[in-house]
Amino acid sequence: MKLRPAGEQKVFEVEILDRKNDAIRARIDGEEISAVLENRAGRLALKVGDQSVRVNVVRGRNAILVAVGPAQFEFAPIEASGRRRAQGLSAQEITAPLPGKVLKILVEENQVVEHGAPLIVLEAMKMETTLAAESRAVIAKIRAEVGAMVDHGAVLIELSPPPADSSAT
Amino acid sequence: MLRSEFDREEDYVAATVAPRGLFLKYDCGVTANIRPRQSGMKKLLIANRGEIAVRIIRSARVMGLRTVAVYSDADVNAAHVAMADEAYPIGPPEPAQSYLNMLAILDAARIAGADAIHPGYGFLSERPEFAQAVAAAGFTFVGPPAEVMAALGDKLAARQIAVKADVPVVPGIDSSDLSTTRSFGARVGYPILAKAAAGGGGRGMRVVESAEQLESALEAAAREAQAAFGDGRVFLEKYLARPRHVEIQILGDNHGKVIALGERECSIQRRHQKIIEESPAPGLSEQVRARMVEAALRLAQAAGYRNAGTAEFLVDGNDFYFLEVNARLQVEHPITELRFDRDLVCDQIAIAEGARVSDPIVPHGAAIECRVNAEDAAHDFRPAVGPVAHLALPSGPGVRVDTHLAAGAEVSPYYDSLIAKVITWGQDRELARKRMVAALDEFSVLGPHTSAAFLRDVIASEPFARADLSTRFLPEFFPTWKLSDDKQKIALLAAALMGSTASAKMSGSDGREGARRETTPAARSPWVGLGHFEPWERR
Repeated sequence: MKLRPAGEQKVFEVEILDRKNDAIRARIDGEEISAVLENRAGRLALKVGDQSVRVNVVRGRNAILVAVGPAQFEFAPIEASGRRRAQGLSAQEITAPLPGKVLKILVEENQVVEHGAPLIVLEAMKMETTLAAESRAVIAKIRAEVGAMVDHGAVLIELSPPPADSSAT
Repeated sequence: MLRSEFDREEDYVAATVAPRGLFLKYDCGVTANIRPRQSGMKKLLIANRGEIAVRIIRSARVMGLRTVAVYSDADVNAAHVAMADEAYPIGPPEPAQSYLNMLAILDAARIAGADAIHPGYGFLSERPEFAQAVAAAGFTFVGPPAEVMAALGDKLAARQIAVKADVPVVPGIDSSDLSTTRSFGARVGYPILAKAAAGGGGRGMRVVESAEQLESALEAAAREAQAAFGDGRVFLEKYLARPRHVEIQILGDNHGKVIALGERECSIQRRHQKIIEESPAPGLSEQVRARMVEAALRLAQAAGYRNAGTAEFLVDGNDFYFLEVNARLQVEHPITELRFDRDLVCDQIAIAEGARVSDPIVPHGAAIECRVNAEDAAHDFRPAVGPVAHLALPSGPGVRVDTHLAAGAEVSPYYDSLIAKVITWGQDRELARKRMVAALDEFSVLGPHTSAAFLRDVIASEPFARADLSTRFLPEFFPTWKLSDDKQKIALLAAALMGSTASAKMSGSDGREGARRETTPAARSPWVGLGHFEPWERR
């Protein structure tokens, strides 16, 4: 199964090779590891080597959340999506990573933006969060309005692929 | 007590035989010299939410008060609402329309028949006009009087009081005029700090690194100040490179007595927000501590301070400079409580009722507090929101957790990101520190990201262990932070174990979530059988 940690590019390939009761053998990115699943008073722990860590998992619509002690990991199971990559865009739209208020829109439609360019500023929890372009792109359509409240996942800006002769100007 | 103080005979009789009689001893260490009834409270409204509302309800209950919660539309299912004896809606989720809505809160107090209002921290707690309105409406305000708050809550006025009371202050100017600020910057040297006059809790502060940044930084600070406090005034201060932030807890009664309850070291800050606090301040000399306590008491006396407050200082070697007075209960008050065996909320209520403040005991041991925020520490501390699918909280000897969080609760985007305070106590700092590491290891949330794992790594770190503290601690020792690869490996394995059963279905499905969830064969996943498999949606 392919898993991508949220907010990161790297994809991990995880294979469960063998499972006998609670003894598990798996391969993570080519490296084999053995683990023992422990059930202690209804709580689950994974023992790797001589270290045993309490683990909890929940599965959401687009994410698997795993708590390892106080740390939470969020993974997106990867399904093939060739279109974006083919167009050279890491994302086709800029969505709100959290609910909040649109404070500022820093770009205009048809503008070409570079990787890392600030596009829009949201305010949530009294904090300003700036969303930036993840790759060079053209602002196709601005769907957000300054002052509007937006939900998590709302599409704020639509992007289209950058012009072909990118290095000109 | 005189009969003439009462309109009716039965009120007088009820008052004199009331169980809460003269010289009441509260278990928080305050001997209350109260006239029974008329001045004693019966019902307290808490004009706040989150962990502090829960915290205040607990103490009020101990003192035999009935409690009234207020809540916004986003907090219908919040812990403080469930916990209070009564609860009243006060408006939409936006703070300006609910928790900052004085009229709605006063209406709730009237309808509930409350006789006192505790503002908590944040929201209306340091607004003199609120303290004024509460008193004018005939309720007791559990906090300093409006005029004291007005004088001290305004950072500029507070500076002037400090200077008059012979308390050292950081060089600064109270102007945001560009040419004046330019010459100030040139005189004291960059960086300088732009601060909101009405600010607090680290908001409305900006470091200006150079003269070129001055104009935009002043604008941004004024905009944030206007948005957060409704007051856009900004002033400037010399920025000390590697200071420590140390504060003194004070308690003043209505009879002119003010006491100090030691210090709190709050140097570990992120973007001027405290995240780890401890008491005592490690390595602070007895002499400096004593001078700071004296300065705080002088300041409080000069301002006619009443109720709980905190004088904040920057410490630079053996020098210290007054920063500001926080005219309210502080987030980090529990570490003082653990060392002084006091309940500061009880103290506040008793003082508001007219009790005399009792002398503090000699403090013992060391206490540490970690503020766990709903933030993704691995991704630039991005705010995290949404429902809590799973929650495990630490406990045990020397461990205290102040929180409003519960499984199924929702972390809302409208309010502060603080979700829990983990507080530990030990005979010495090292024991308190070890207890904190162990406590944070037990702290687990699934749903919104939290800063618990980050805090755990900071507390366990060598620089923290040797107390190499300054407000630059995090930029110096934790400029970046990520979850460890070992932990990630375990997490990947766990996710794959969970996913291995579902993945077959996923790859064959047409991608419609509803169909997928219903038909997911869950039987083989170890988490399913034990009830750890829960459908979870990030909203």
